Amino acid sequence: MTRVIFIEPDGTRTEIDARDGDSIMQTAVSNSVGSIVGDCGGAMACATCHCYVDEAWADKTGQRSPGEGDMLECAAAEMRPTSRLSCQVKVRPELDGLVIHLPSEQM
Amino acid sequence: MTAAFAPLDETITIDQLVNDPYPIYRRMRAETPVLRVKSVGRTFLTKAADCRMVKDNPLLFSSDDPNTPMKPAFQAHTLMRKDGEEHMRERMAMMPSLLPKTIQTNWAELYRQIATDYVARLPRGETIDLYEELCGPVAARILAHILGIPNATDEEMQRWSQVLIEGAGNFGWKPEPFEASDKANAEMNAHFETMIDHHKANPNMSAFSVMLNAENPIPMSQIYANIKIAIGGGINEPRDALATIVYGLLTKPEQLAEVKRQGNWSAAFEEGVRWVAPIQVSSRLVTEDTEIRGFVIPKGDTVMTIQASANRDEELFEDGENFNVFRDKNPHQAFGSGPHHCAGTHVARRTLGQIMLPMLFDRFPDMELPDPSAVIWKGFGFRGPVNLPVKLN
Repeated sequence: MTRVIFIEPDGTRTEIDARDGDSIMQTAVSNSVGSIVGDCGGAMACATCHCYVDEAWADKTGQRSPGEGDMLECAAAEMRPTSRLSCQVKVRPELDGLVIHLPSEQM
Repeated sequence: MTAAFAPLDETITIDQLVNDPYPIYRRMRAETPVLRVKSVGRTFLTKAADCRMVKDNPLLFSSDDPNTPMKPAFQAHTLMRKDGEEHMRERMAMMPSLLPKTIQTNWAELYRQIATDYVARLPRGETIDLYEELCGPVAARILAHILGIPNATDEEMQRWSQVLIEGAGNFGWKPEPFEASDKANAEMNAHFETMIDHHKANPNMSAFSVMLNAENPIPMSQIYANIKIAIGGGINEPRDALATIVYGLLTKPEQLAEVKRQGNWSAAFEEGVRWVAPIQVSSRLVTEDTEIRGFVIPKGDTVMTIQASANRDEELFEDGENFNVFRDKNPHQAFGSGPHHCAGTHVARRTLGQIMLPMLFDRFPDMELPDPSAVIWKGFGFRGPVNLPVKLN
């Protein structure tokens, strides 16, 4: 189990024991965390799984997938350098303690 | 033991599916979740997990069906029947006009105005067919603006949409539906041509303008195809969704009261499209031999994901056959899944859920559906009420 900490815009923290191999989007959706919708199921087609990776973790989570940047520009909330589509970030043991900030809106 | 083909059903008729598919799907989910249906020539998948799996896997389950009547109907190879990079390129070409932030900055005020105008025309105190008088026309008007063809009349938009859909669904390959769609294509092509100069001279956030003025535009044939796809997908569906949601709310007055109290029209929207998905089914062509639930699905087969059924899957939804706005979770597939997930989703959610529904019930707070049994539901591929006689109190 890898711990992922979700922080909502109002500061609410939710700590989840995430399954390795799941995406952050799947982790959020299956634990009903915040506003993450993941409408398209992880195909980078809807931009409703937008999240901001905490700066301290940005390097470890790696680079965006090809095309991810284009879709992030489609997201409802402002795009930041730390923006990711959470369907593209996979849970791994090295990310134990990962902090994810949630945007104010997805749609 | 060698795996077998999925069971074959030779009794279900298209008429039955058009009239009321839901009891049939319920039985299928319980007994035969993978079922070859002879009358339709497709392998039906009625479970939510299978529908998602198929749509999330375009390599194995392709949208590029060489035998689709959609090609002659649209006179084009549209993005709906493409996969991979070419699909994504054509999709992204019109995406900017459909984004939440575009809707917010460019379209929200206009929608409010259009919705206000159209609702204001409805005669207070009388009984009218909301489907005819509001649901269709407002969908047409809003779409004409988003697409950048505001001079097209509501009548033209609705007719083009209907004719395109009928052509695309012409699996019997009869000549008449294609004759009608040929005529509509000629009208649309001529109309689009009249707008090109305007959009080039006055760039704006409409789909036509965004595609024409792109740094690296897609071919004109595909720009036209994209607009036609949006006409096909962006009128009947919001029309049907609005009618379904209003029906749901008017037949569940306690839920309507609570929606009003909470202002949670978005939840009402999601439940409406879950309960009766405006687009009920989607086909995919199988590109390699594969298996679903242990059944052989051979290369060349066409599977049909029944999102109408996925939306009532007992594994995901409690009492899914009934309209219940206040479910805990609503992971429906009314907008599909995977790369072809509906590009108009945000538009639908905002215009219907956030603008039209509250406005309608604000203007007619005691709207009634005097005779729910008079409402006729129809459709196998696309489904919704075909009439909605309401009293505008």
